[in-house]
This record gives sequence, C-alpha cells and structure tokens, in this order.
Amino acid sequence: MKITIDHLTKDFGSTIAVNDFSAVIESGELIALLGPSGCGKSTMLNMISGILPSSTGKIYFDEDDVTDVAPEKRGVGLVFQNYALYPHMTVLENIAFPLEIKKVKKEEREAKAKEMAKLVHVDMLLDRKPKQLSGGQQQRVAIARALIKNPRVLLLDEPLSNLDARLRIEMREEIRRIQQETQVTTIFVTHDQEEAMSISDHIVLMKDGFLQQVARPQELYDEPANCFVADFLGNPPINKTYGVVQNGAIVLDGGCVVELDAAKNLKEGHKVILSMRAESIVVDEGMKNAEGTVVETYVMGKEVLAYVSLGDYKVRAYIPAEKSFGKEQKVTVGLKKRGVFVFDAETGERLA
Amino acid sequence: MSTKTAGKKKSVSFFRKIEPYFYLAPFAIGVLLFTLYPIVNVVLMSFKENYNFINQSYSGWGLGNYLYVLNDAYFIQAYKNTFMYVFVVIPISTCLSVLIATLLNQKIKFSGMFQTAYFLPMVTSTVAIGFAWRFMFSHRTGVINYLLSFLGVEAINWLQIPKYNFPALCIYGIWAILPFTIILLLSGLQNIDPMYYTAAKVDGAGPIKSFFRITLPLLAPTIFLVLIVNTISTFKVYNELFPLFQGPGIASNLFTVVYYIYYQFRIKTPMKYGYAAAAAVILFLTIFVFTMIQRFIEKKTKD
Ligand SMILES: Nc1ncnc2c1ncn2[C@@H]1O[C@H](COP(=O)(O)OP(=O)(O)OP(=O)(O)O)[C@@H](O)[C@H]1O
Ligand SMILES: [Mg+2]
Repeated sequence: MKITIDHLTKDFGSTIAVNDFSAVIESGELIALLGPSGCGKSTMLNMISGILPSSTGKIYFDEDDVTDVAPEKRGVGLVFQNYALYPHMTVLENIAFPLEIKKVKKEEREAKAKEMAKLVHVDMLLDRKPKQLSGGQQQRVAIARALIKNPRVLLLDEPLSNLDARLRIEMREEIRRIQQETQVTTIFVTHDQEEAMSISDHIVLMKDGFLQQVARPQELYDEPANCFVADFLGNPPINKTYGVVQNGAIVLDGGCVVELDAAKNLKEGHKVILSMRAESIVVDEGMKNAEGTVVETYVMGKEVLAYVSLGDYKVRAYIPAEKSFGKEQKVTVGLKKRGVFVFDAETGERLA
Repeated sequence: MSTKTAGKKKSVSFFRKIEPYFYLAPFAIGVLLFTLYPIVNVVLMSFKENYNFINQSYSGWGLGNYLYVLNDAYFIQAYKNTFMYVFVVIPISTCLSVLIATLLNQKIKFSGMFQTAYFLPMVTSTVAIGFAWRFMFSHRTGVINYLLSFLGVEAINWLQIPKYNFPALCIYGIWAILPFTIILLLSGLQNIDPMYYTAAKVDGAGPIKSFFRITLPLLAPTIFLVLIVNTISTFKVYNELFPLFQGPGIASNLFTVVYYIYYQFRIKTPMKYGYAAAAAVILFLTIFVFTMIQRFIEKKTKD
C-alpha cells in the first residue's frame, strides 16, 4: 500500500515535532525513518499509526484519506521500542491477541498465530511467557503480533535499540527477510545510519521535524541534498571545511587553496562548506587539487588513516598501507569527483 | 609473637561475628517484649483453668476455656456474624475499589477532587465520622433513606431495628475500608505500563476488553495483597460497632469475635481472661487458615 504524507505538521504547544512534512512511500517498500534523537521520528510514526492526531496536513493510505481515522481502523501493525508484549500471556496468546480482539474463533486464531510464529522462527517457544525470552526472541514475537492481522503497513519504532551489536545485525536481516516474504509496506525508525543503509529500499532523513531528503541509501550517501545529510551519513564522518570562493578556487580558512572544477561556476566571495569523504581524498598519487601536510598516520589493518592538514583543518584520508610518510611531510592532495561536495555556508544547500 | 597476633585476630573476628546482634538488640528486645511475649502469654492463658489475672493463680491446665467458648451461644453468634461480615464486606469492597481505582486512574476531569473525597476517611477522626454516619443512617432524616426513596425503598430504621443492624454495619465497614484499598490498587495500576493499552488500542481493543485482558491480570498481585490484608482486618471487626450502636448492635445481636473477647475481658464480672484468650486463639487460627488458603489460590493462579 502506498502512503502519501501531505504537508503534515505536529506541534506540542511550543515545540514543533514534525514540520510541514511531505513524502510518498511506495507500496511494498521497506523505508527507514532516520534522524538524530528528538527529530520527530516517533511523532511521525505515531501520526501514521493514528495514536497521535496531527495538527495540520493529511495522510493517505493509497487513495484513502486516513487523517481522522481511528488507529484500530487503519490496519496498521505496530512494534514498540520495548516490544510491549503482555507479560501475563504466553507467546501464543500474545501473537493471537489482535485476533482475539476481533473475536476470531480460538482454533482459527491459534492456527494463524502458529503460522506467524513459524514465519518469525519462534514456533518452538509458544508456551513461554515474554519474561522467559531473550531480547531478539521478544522482538520476533512482537513482529509476529503486529503481522497477524495482515496489516496494510508495518510500523517499527527503533525495534533494535535494545539488542546487543551482534543480535542487531542478525535481527535487521530478519526484518528484511520477513518484509520481503510478506511484501508489507514497512516503516522502520532508527537513529543508526548503518542500520538504515543496510536494509532499507529508501531512507527518509529528518532533522528538527523537517524532511531533509528521501533517497535510496547509496544515493543518499553519494548525492546528499544538503550539508546535514552529508554530515549525518558515513563512518568516519565526512571532513567538513569552511572557505571562500576566490578566482574559481576555494580558499579554506588558514589560506589553503583548493582547486576544484566545481568551484569554477561559483560566485566570487561566496562562503562555502567543502565536505570530503575520507575515501575521496588521495595523497601523493599524481592528482593535485591542493597541497597539505601529513600530520599523523594510524595503521588500521589493511589501510592507513592519515590526518592531513589543509589550512586550519585536519582532514582524514585513507592511504594505501605500503606508503609511508614522515612526520610533517608536505604532500599533494587530490580530490576525487565522487564524495566531494560544496555547500552554501549559510543555508547548507548543495552547490556542487 | 605469632601466636599473640593470631589470638588477637581471633578475638577481632569473634567481635565481628557478634557485632550485628548489638545493633539488632534494641529492636529485637522491643519485639520480644511487646509482641512475642504477649502472644505466648495469651496462648498459655487460654489453657489455664480459672485463671486470675490479679494474683496470677490458676487451678490447672486444660481445654476447659475452649469447651466453654465453643458452647457459648454468644461466641457462636459472634463467630457467625464475623464470618458473614467478612463474606459480605470483602467481595463488595474489593470489586468497588477496583472499579473506583480504575476510574481514578483515568485522566478524567476533577480526578483530584475525587481522590480527595475518597481518601478523606483516612485522615478524619473515626469518632467524628461515626457521628456523621449515625446521622446518615437516621430513620427519618438520614441521607441513605432519602437516596433509597428514589429506588422506591421505604424508610428503613437501620440503627433501631435489630435485623437492619447488620446491613448498616456492612455499609459502614465497606465505606471505611475503601480508601486504603483504593490507594493500594491505584499504586498497582500506576505500575502498569501505558504502552500495553496503546498496543491493545491499535489492535482494536475497547475499554472493557482492555480492562479484563490487561488491567485485571496485571493488577492481580495487588488484588491478592489487598484481599489478604483486608480479610485479616475485617475478621477483627470491632471498632465499627461503637460509632453506630455503642455496642454489639441494638439488642446484643451483633457480637463479633473481637467484641466477644473484649466482652469476656472487660465487661463481664468477674472478668474471664481464660475465655477471652481461648476466643483469641480460635480467631487467630481461623485467620491463619484463611490466609493460607488465599496464598495457595494466589500461587495456583500465577502458574
Ligand atoms: N507529548 C509530547 N509533548 C511535548 N513535546 C513532545 C511530546 N512528544 C514529543 N515531544 C517533542 O517532540 C520532539 C520530537 O520527539 P520524538 O519523540 O518524535 O523524537 P524521536 O525522533 O523519536 O527521538 P528518539 O530518537 O530519541 O526517540 C522532541 O523535541 C520532543 O521533546
Ligand atoms: Mg523515538
């Protein structure tokens, strides 16, 4: 089912949690709703589920306006951050509960619940209480409970944040598998960029209640719409430097001149941000966009992370392990086309 | 040299071992003196024949007190009354307080006012409240009869006609037990994560379904606690007799076990300590059996 969000706003008195948000989520996709803590992700999700009423704007499921429809009539399955499994019910009863509410006959709903349990691989735990399950198992049960009534949308609010690192990776792949098996449109909240990058079809990136960009993971990484998006994605974080356009080049604070094709079209005297991913910076390889000094190097297994000073900034760059540099050695710095961006210093908008 | 230090170490560790008992002593002595000693004494007393409290004399050991008490019409009446009282007051007060606590726990308007109203009995003098209830139960001018008149019930002479004394006592007893029970249940309700209700709501559960499938099971441990505490306290019904009737009903028709103990101990001359003690032991055993049964049921429902 397609979800259309049209100029949606939610204000809690003085704080505006979601601000004039518009996006379209295509049917059958797995969407990651990504953003830093407090940016309005849960608020957004709760408005889609109907738990929270919106202040202004509209939500459409396919062509139906569901803005004022009660949560139980929207056909959404919800997985909470701490799962909210009913502690007094067994796994089987928990999974079957949405059907129990719908007054489905006992044999029928238990058969369906067992089928769901099989889908999420908890069919050997049916008689246990939630307390007797591990975090990952509880999460699977919560997903089964959300899926049993064939929801039109599956909504998950930071479902992995309570799990340890290894289980997290395992479970996010499970969510992907279950989503692909059921083909249910899924929105999945996270503040972990790696989680979002690894499993989603599209990422919706938010900041302070505003939509920043909707794109496929790789596209978000390669073509960020603004400085925030570039900063938010990537590990190690992107190198962010400030400078001014002069004579078709960018002069960084501290006087380092960076020759850049992209800068040729920019207005003289424009204050800009030059952001460079670590893997897009090459050192002493014949390519020359600027001159810098190697300050420090760290060997990290198969490659070496070098800190190169460019004007006032120290930028991270990956260099091949076989190369070695002396301390304070002057080097030529080359910038690849991919992974180097220029943003307006005031608005953060992408310029090149 | 070495033996000396070893000896010293030993005495230090010995002191360490007994040290905690010094800290315990003041409390332990208090408990022994004011709780355990009287209990043991009462049990012993119940087996002493013709015991005289003043000169501590008794004619021998035996079951005479128990035989007397168990055959005493007043005791039998008291035992029956007490049981009936427990069986009326406990179910009604528990259901009512679960209902009221659930309502108070909703985010309703004026909930502050309701809370104050329900907790008022706890902080007001029992005597003053007793008088208020005498007025409320009054035959001609009482508010209870006035309210009942809307249901077409004719004015009842609650306090003057013996057969209405027991219902009056139950109404008063239920009312008196509510605040404490509601406070306990409210704290139990507040421990239920609101997330469960949100989850159930998204799945389409109405308030009744949520109440029976979520609230009640999650509140069960608190309800059991309330049941045990209240059963014990209602078995000891006694105070409630005085504001309403200044005694065991209008015609000595409302003896309760604790009132019977008081009666043997205080009112009858010469005072019958042995009878009182035997009645107290019987009451203790009754409460003990009941509490055990409740604990057993609680364990059963938990699994
Ligand atoms: N009920 C509320 N009343 C007032 N302000 C609220 C309420 N709920 C959320 N907010 C505010 O709205 C903003 C967005 O909150 P939200 O819970 O949606 O953030 P989030 O992106 O889910 O964060 P996190 O990743 O920490 O869960 C925050 O500034 C928060 O303080
Ligand atoms: Mg959140």
